Amino acid sequence: MFLSERIGIHAALANPAVTSTRKLVPMALQRTSRSLVAAVGLAATVGLILTGCTNTGTDTKGSSSGSSEQTVKASDGPTCDLATYKGEKIDLKDAVVGFSQSEKEDNPFRIAETQSIKDEAAKVGVKKFISTNAQSTLSKQISDIQDLISQGANVLIVAPLNSDGLEPALSAARAKNIPVITIDRKLNAEACSDYVSFLGSDFVEQGKRAADQLIKGTGGKGKVAILLGASGNGVTTDRTKGFVDEIKAKGSGIEIVAQQTGDFARDKGQSVTEQLLQSNPEITAIYAENDEMGLGAQAAIIAAGKTPGKDIQIYSIDGTKNAVSQIVAGQYNGVIESNPRFGPLAFKTLKSFLAGDPVGQDIIIEDGEYDPDNAASKVDGAF
Amino acid sequence: MSSVTIRLPRQGAGLALLQKYGVYLAIVLILVANLLVTPNFFTVDNLRTQLVQVVPVLIVALGMALVIGTEGIDLSVGASMAMAAAVLPLYIGYGFVPALIIALVAALVIGLTNGVLVAFVGVQPIVATLSLMVAGRGLALLVAGEQLRPVIDPSVLALGRGTVFGVPWAVLIAAALVAIIAVLVNRTTFGKQLVAVGGNRRAAELAGLPVKRILLVIYLVCAVLAAVAGIIGTARLAASVPSTIGNLIELSAITAVVVGGTPLSGGQVKIAGTVAGALLLQIITATLVKHNVPDAYSQIIQAAIIVVAVYIQRGKVFTK
Repeated sequence: MFLSERIGIHAALANPAVTSTRKLVPMALQRTSRSLVAAVGLAATVGLILTGCTNTGTDTKGSSSGSSEQTVKASDGPTCDLATYKGEKIDLKDAVVGFSQSEKEDNPFRIAETQSIKDEAAKVGVKKFISTNAQSTLSKQISDIQDLISQGANVLIVAPLNSDGLEPALSAARAKNIPVITIDRKLNAEACSDYVSFLGSDFVEQGKRAADQLIKGTGGKGKVAILLGASGNGVTTDRTKGFVDEIKAKGSGIEIVAQQTGDFARDKGQSVTEQLLQSNPEITAIYAENDEMGLGAQAAIIAAGKTPGKDIQIYSIDGTKNAVSQIVAGQYNGVIESNPRFGPLAFKTLKSFLAGDPVGQDIIIEDGEYDPDNAASKVDGAF
Repeated sequence: MSSVTIRLPRQGAGLALLQKYGVYLAIVLILVANLLVTPNFFTVDNLRTQLVQVVPVLIVALGMALVIGTEGIDLSVGASMAMAAAVLPLYIGYGFVPALIIALVAALVIGLTNGVLVAFVGVQPIVATLSLMVAGRGLALLVAGEQLRPVIDPSVLALGRGTVFGVPWAVLIAAALVAIIAVLVNRTTFGKQLVAVGGNRRAAELAGLPVKRILLVIYLVCAVLAAVAGIIGTARLAASVPSTIGNLIELSAITAVVVGGTPLSGGQVKIAGTVAGALLLQIITATLVKHNVPDAYSQIIQAAIIVVAVYIQRGKVFTK
């Protein structure tokens, strides 16, 4: 026996008011309009509340005017020049520059990256700067790049969402001999043919340096849990490989007791750390593959009644102001930087290239690092 | 059309029991397995951790159960969580209670839009709430200035970390909400009306039930519950992270509801089953993480367990 049967049909038959549809319709309409009026009223109230908002939170927005401009660490591989790429000479001041950002700008890295490119474009004084955001969708990034080309972009700076899949966009640029500089994520494509150069960090090296910091901070002993980034992401693979290999090579007293994904997200980093601390109470350090998960781990450690930075050490990669300021507070142990401020270096590279000079195909940038000794003096340069 | 249960011919008493109590049985089995193979599982701290962690999914699933009971679905619950999370730190300067109220009201915007689209405009629930799932999170990010904010207000932190006689506030709130929703569904006229709408909307309309108003209220309730989950999540994290909070939680919530025996075709709401479904998901996740199962396998295992749980209950799921 179901309620719908009981109330629905039986009630319909029993209730004389609804046996006539003529009566029913106006009633329903009246009710509809009254509810709608109430609904619109509520919406308006809420709209007023939302627009009248005041900001009492801590401002964490990235700024590209920070002190840590990128410097080149290595660029000794093959080079590329305009003649080989079959492009045309152009002064950046006469050029339309298109920038295709990959991910939503809801994390400090992307905010700082876009801001840096934008600021430098203004500083250089390009003829026109157009920027797009693919909102973490590959197909949108392809159409974004095609749009930039049809809007007359003479050069493109692309932060690829993925190492693969941008071929249709690249071939559209290639067809018009438009130079493409890729930043932060390397493409599985041919440099100086499908694109000009890649500017970015060495993610394996970042993992290795995090391991070095952890070995130093823990005295080379203890049990470590790794909070992995999103599964199937090249950054995750590299940061894991660099870390694990270095621990094997130099940290024989360190045991990696768990490797679980935290999806680069703070809440996931927190819940996974809570689980791991329960089942492995002997964990003495956490390596998180980005700052957000590290900060989630910190919340979990506090909730477990332990002191982050002392009872359980935390190391992560990124260099956000949120994490670095925790080192200053003594609640966090080390951060390897992944510098998002590509603007100056990207435009410098473009300028040389467009003037006909050879530029490196793989320009690996120097990333800084933060530890308890330098965090206080360098925190303002964090993004 | 009235609802009927299809009785499978070879269905014995044992299978019937399994169908009714399958989710509870699964919980017991996994707990026993953990007792045998997982170190430190049956400690007070660990069990408390599991209860705290299940809270957001559980609270969202309560609202989802109501919506599914009306033969609807709400994919925008993650967006409602994000909205509440985004708004809370903006107004905490005015005090804890005002900030809480404003956060809940902000999430009501999403519930209201869902309700109006579904009840009055006649958009299919999956389409209406899908748009809000995307737009709502966008709006939340806009409100937050696309920023992540640390939350340091002591009242908020107490909500996330505080306990009463050893029971965390989050768990107490969830328990109270379960009780309220259970009473609403099982003991009130409104509860009977909502399953009537889900069982047969046309009949409910003919019966003179205020179907549109009922639907509107249900989507509002669902959004408010999600907002409560978002506030608790924010408090626990000591940070407002509108970009990631509640991502994909709609899937966990729907799974908890369905595993708990509420059919997607509407007309029934099982609150106890929903609680059990959420707990089952939580202990499966906990078990896999504690045994360091790689992500890819753990996703497959979770899906397999869910398919089995739903398959066992198929007799109950066939209605109408």
